Amino acid sequence: MWARFALIAFGAAIVQVGLLNQVVVAGAHADAFLLLAISAGLVAGPQRGAAMAFVLGLVADVFVQTPYGLSSLCYVLIAFAAGLATSALPGRPSFGFKLAAALLGGIGGSLLFAGLGVLIGQPSVPLHDLAVVAVVVSAGCVLFAALGFWLFEWTVAVVPGSHHDAGAYASGSAR
Amino acid sequence: MAASRRNTSQRLTLVILLLASITVITVAYKGEARHAVTSVRNAAADVVSPLQRGIAAVLHPVGNFFAGMADYGGALSENQRLQLEVGQLRRQLVEASQAQAQLDQIKAEERIPFADGIPEVLAQVISSPASNFDVTVEIDRGTSNGVGVGMPVVSGAGLVGSVISAGGSTAVVQLVTDPRSEVGVRFGSGNVALAQGQGEGNPLALQDVSETAVTYRGAPVLTSGLDVAAYPSGIPVGTVSKVRHPGGSLTSQVSVSPYVNVSELQYLAVLQWLPPA
Repeated sequence: MWARFALIAFGAAIVQVGLLNQVVVAGAHADAFLLLAISAGLVAGPQRGAAMAFVLGLVADVFVQTPYGLSSLCYVLIAFAAGLATSALPGRPSFGFKLAAALLGGIGGSLLFAGLGVLIGQPSVPLHDLAVVAVVVSAGCVLFAALGFWLFEWTVAVVPGSHHDAGAYASGSAR
Repeated sequence: MAASRRNTSQRLTLVILLLASITVITVAYKGEARHAVTSVRNAAADVVSPLQRGIAAVLHPVGNFFAGMADYGGALSENQRLQLEVGQLRRQLVEASQAQAQLDQIKAEERIPFADGIPEVLAQVISSPASNFDVTVEIDRGTSNGVGVGMPVVSGAGLVGSVISAGGSTAVVQLVTDPRSEVGVRFGSGNVALAQGQGEGNPLALQDVSETAVTYRGAPVLTSGLDVAAYPSGIPVGTVSKVRHPGGSLTSQVSVSPYVNVSELQYLAVLQWLPPA
């Protein structure tokens, strides 16, 4: 599982730095790592999802100039929240639920990152700019949600009968 | 019972991961760890820069297309404004040729540091900000080309920013519009102030401008070069776009529109000049 996860993290870095950063809409661009963090929480559950999100944050922070570790802090919270929301469902989440999670996770992740940044001494982002970032990031998350969730289902389902994390709907034995 | 144990385990995991994140932020904030993080970031940037160069060449038109779609109304009004400006610029060209003759005379008598042949390294922008919360660009020149941290970066129109990180073949430039950027400037009749970035697309804000400072809309703003300034003196920064005198305050609120449109940067020059130690 972790080998596949490493492959996804590496691929995300290439896609983010090489492709998504170049497609700037109204001053903002999509965030592949945030989408993967949401997917991790949703698919792997709050515990393993948050652990994966932590690692994704460390990788993402290699390519930005914001304080190292800030993305990890943000992604852990988002993944954990996504995992908890999924664990409250009686069965597997519907595609509509996944899209809603991607939308809310995109908005929440952007606002959380900006808020945590201010808490640790980063300059505040003007509200208008923050709104634009939240809209563009969440739109990107919704647009690529199916791919993100599929990647994590592929990752987590690799170990048959592995530890069944609470809330995970594809934790190895689900298929 | 099992559910309770599971909840406890989840909370414990969350707390551990949050503490780990906070520890990473704290440790990487300064000292040796900060240097290590910077080295890793520079190395990673060098590794992915060939990919960025290739994709940037292909995707610049695509990015411009999406940006244009998102701001079609703005593009129309921008077009009208530019047409007006063309007329004004033609008139100014005639005036400028006369002014140039005067400037040549002044230069002959007085040293102007910005025009005094500071060596420069031409560079291409290969990546927009990697984070939505950075106001930086990445360029395709690094320490192997003579680019170093702290060097000012300019375009033909004026000040762009300064180098904040440099790897072997790439460097990161913090733009003047970054909220962490502060530029010592002079404007009007001998006024000096700090111009602080307010985010991409927003004017710079001049800090601590005395209410008695004389200025006007359209007044040019240049780097001051005072004391241990981060920039040499005389680099054009922008023009005063708004002056407000809030009632009861001893300071004025002055906004500056940068000359350089930082969102459309493609080529720029790094001045091989370092601030005095």
